Amino acid sequence: MTIVDGGELLRVEDLKVYFPIKSGLVFDRHVGDVKAVDGVSFEIMKGETLGLVGESGCGKTTVGRTILRLYDPTEGRILFEGDDISSLSQKQMQKLRGRMQMIFQDPYSSLNPRQSVGNLISEPLKIHGISSGDKARARAEELLEIVGLPKSATARYPHEFSGGQRQRIGLARSLALNPDLIVADEPVSALDVSIQAQMINLLEELQEEFDLTYLFIAHDLAVVRHISDRVAVMYLGKIVEVANADELYASPRHPYTMALLSAVPIPDPMVEESRERILLKGDLPSPANPPSGCRFHTRCPFRQPERCDTEDPELRTLADGHVAACHYAEEIMAGRIRAHESGKARAS
Amino acid sequence: MSLAEAEAQELHLERPSSLSRDALDRFIHNKAAVVGVVVMVLLVLIAIFAPLIAPFGPQEQVGPLDSSNPAGPSAEHWMGLDEQGRDVFSRVVYGARLSLLVGLVSAAFGLSVGLVLGALAGYFGGWVETIIMRLMDIMLAIPALLLAIGLIALLGRGLVQIMIAVGITTIPVFARLLRGSILAQRESDYVLAARSLGVRGRRLLTVHILPNALAPLIVQATLVTATAIIDVAGLSFLGLGPAEPGLPEWGKMLADNATRLDRATHLVIFPGAAIVISVLGLNLIGDGLRESIDPKMRS
Amino acid sequence: MPLLSVRDLAVQFKTRKSTVRAVNGVSFDLDAGETLGIVGESGCGKSVTSLAMLGILPKAGRVTHGEVLFEDVDLLKVPDSQLRQVRGNDIAMIFQDPMTSLNPVLTVGRQITEALRKHMDMNKDEANKEAIALLDRVEIPAAKDRIEDYPHQFSGGMRQRVMIAMAISCHPKILIADEPTTALDVTIQAQILEVLKQLVAEENMALILITHDLGVVAGTCERTNVMYAGRFVESAPTPKLFAKPRHPYTLGLLKSVPRLDAARKEKLQPIGGTPLSMTSEIEGCAFAPRCIYATEESRTKTPELRRIDSDDHLVACWNPVQEEDMPRIEIVAARDEGVAG
Repeated sequence: MTIVDGGELLRVEDLKVYFPIKSGLVFDRHVGDVKAVDGVSFEIMKGETLGLVGESGCGKTTVGRTILRLYDPTEGRILFEGDDISSLSQKQMQKLRGRMQMIFQDPYSSLNPRQSVGNLISEPLKIHGISSGDKARARAEELLEIVGLPKSATARYPHEFSGGQRQRIGLARSLALNPDLIVADEPVSALDVSIQAQMINLLEELQEEFDLTYLFIAHDLAVVRHISDRVAVMYLGKIVEVANADELYASPRHPYTMALLSAVPIPDPMVEESRERILLKGDLPSPANPPSGCRFHTRCPFRQPERCDTEDPELRTLADGHVAACHYAEEIMAGRIRAHESGKARAS
Repeated sequence: MSLAEAEAQELHLERPSSLSRDALDRFIHNKAAVVGVVVMVLLVLIAIFAPLIAPFGPQEQVGPLDSSNPAGPSAEHWMGLDEQGRDVFSRVVYGARLSLLVGLVSAAFGLSVGLVLGALAGYFGGWVETIIMRLMDIMLAIPALLLAIGLIALLGRGLVQIMIAVGITTIPVFARLLRGSILAQRESDYVLAARSLGVRGRRLLTVHILPNALAPLIVQATLVTATAIIDVAGLSFLGLGPAEPGLPEWGKMLADNATRLDRATHLVIFPGAAIVISVLGLNLIGDGLRESIDPKMRS
Repeated sequence: MPLLSVRDLAVQFKTRKSTVRAVNGVSFDLDAGETLGIVGESGCGKSVTSLAMLGILPKAGRVTHGEVLFEDVDLLKVPDSQLRQVRGNDIAMIFQDPMTSLNPVLTVGRQITEALRKHMDMNKDEANKEAIALLDRVEIPAAKDRIEDYPHQFSGGMRQRVMIAMAISCHPKILIADEPTTALDVTIQAQILEVLKQLVAEENMALILITHDLGVVAGTCERTNVMYAGRFVESAPTPKLFAKPRHPYTLGLLKSVPRLDAARKEKLQPIGGTPLSMTSEIEGCAFAPRCIYATEESRTKTPELRRIDSDDHLVACWNPVQEEDMPRIEIVAARDEGVAG
């Protein structure tokens, strides 16, 4: 865990990102929206790692890309070091590009197959007029060394490298401009287990060395818990809980967080055998057609007949300081409400 | 040994290879593709060295005028004589020049215009894309040959006109292909990564999107050249080819002798075979390119 | 008498440039009703092993050695017509990607009844009724209506359930599940694993679960084999494997995976180096280049699986992991997850 320097680096306020659904014979008409992100607010302090976790369709990738203005927000504000960047034009964003960077999930598609490694790392330097020619190449070699790759890699092409190596090339590229914030979108999900650990350790070392702030987006809770200081859990476009990483595991307050934690397999047969699992029923609803009221109510093992299907709960601070979006969080905490029997299962 | 050193060692074992070199390697090992290349190279050589290869001129009368029963193949005239007493072999050889020229120029014309339109549509999107694509749809709705006939009616008969007409009919194919290809590339992670680094506009298109979007077009170009040759032959067959009489264009040779099929088969078979072989050669190259550029598409 | 006995299986893939030794001498037994986990990273040969067993290797693959004895018959030596009687009937398989493993142009009902009518000799009506019953067993709601739906009308998790229904339709003796939940979200994964465990128990099937996820085998398999570079490097009852991993690779895997229930954040200890490139000829132990315990012997002589600690724990290693290096991780004690703590 890094020591948090204090001072907000990024703040997101009520962010909404809707993607229009178009259909029509000759001209496309706007018939609806996929509400990928539907009112998300959080802040990241300098030097901190905020984990953003959730399953498919929850909107976490969209949040990451919108922060970098690769998508445009439909509503809401994005504040970077206090400045509102949500409505800046792409041209105005140029100056800020160097301060916030992204690492992508798929090492096989995030590097231009026709660019040599040297070129793709030094490209940002050339575009922003920082250096060119030999100086740029020297910097590229320096960056490759930082991520543990040989200098000779500059002459090679991405397809000559393994997945883990490609991820490191992508990392070197993102460090070229000395960013303050790195949005890591599932950076280790596509890697083999033994390589994942290398990458996670590398990310942590680099954070120390270069004073980086991370928004770590992933679906693997164990990895997120390991690397993050705080974790935000997303479900269907909204944040349902935010807590300190250790506390999220020790005492989750939102039913979805509990189910999510319960579903993660643990590499320990003794633990697995004695666990009592919360099993959710049914599938993830589509973000194009989210359930009414609390989005989780269709699968919630603690669902109550009032409020859950009509009122969308606010993300609020509970009595013990935890932040969760559930009407009955306090009752569940106190044991006054229990999970419906059909939602539980014990390993045989 | 550190991780970096171990990996450096691993990399040294093979020489650096760009994607193009890998693709070339695969192409060379594809037997059918190599056959295609050999065929086309021979054809091109025949076309270039026609005066040296053909024993007679294409318009030269070397035998008797015999419209009802022209002489068949013999030791002296490998492909026989035609109704005007001309050596068929020489005409076929000189015909290679015309067919290849027309095929290549038409395809090149269609490719360049289609490329620009497709790039504009794919990159800008919005109403630019809508207008261009609907125009392409309209063009595609008309059968290519009919469109070409209409254009010839407009432009008049002649070698240049036929190249323009056939070329125009190939534009929509390239435009659609490139626009689709660009759309696909635009959504890829590496383009998103480039944008997050600050790459915009022209550089994004020329350095990142286009080089990766062009691959399908290269394949299509060879196939379109083949159809262009057929289309030109077809137009000549219909009597809409270049107006000069006696031009040794394969399609025209077919047209002039269609009625003599039973009596003078050699007058139809040889030009016909020449068309088939050229088209086959180009198709083999096209398929070979497709497989070597994207080996996953192998069936 | 084991139900299935694989002896010294070797599979190669020939490409233009090289020969890839995907499986390099794999042997194991499977008893009726046993759940076996095969764990390994990508490229270790775990999937290829099962494909070879059923005779459905891709064109470039060949079995170069070994036997696969199922009920005393060597499946590798039997003509395809006989093998087709076994596939889907006695030994069934489910695959990783629910998007592509179902035929998109046939209704789900049609795909299930196809197997029933072929292997179980049912007529159309009987097969239909059975198909609905099967969908019910895998807990697909409104099975009677769903039977007419096409695969694209189901979600990923539902499609996997359909696959499972198809697989158990003929009451196979062995079910091979190749990464059945890798492509699914974690809450869906938990559902699917639960259904799988239930059905395996109900049908008394043997299960071979192939995965890269140590957590999944920990919760599902009685016995686990760890695979690296085409061979098994360790084989043990699951609790023994996790408590006392004797092969450095197994140890390395356990130490490099972050545990959700760790009491304190432990620095991950990754296995150095990169996974093996399968084309090179392997001299000695395949794991030696990455192994901290490697000796000269490791680099020159290939270790075979031998018994260690007990009759049912096998390891292929010249320098098995010693007691002092065993993983010792402090965990947060399991809470009752039905009620908040």
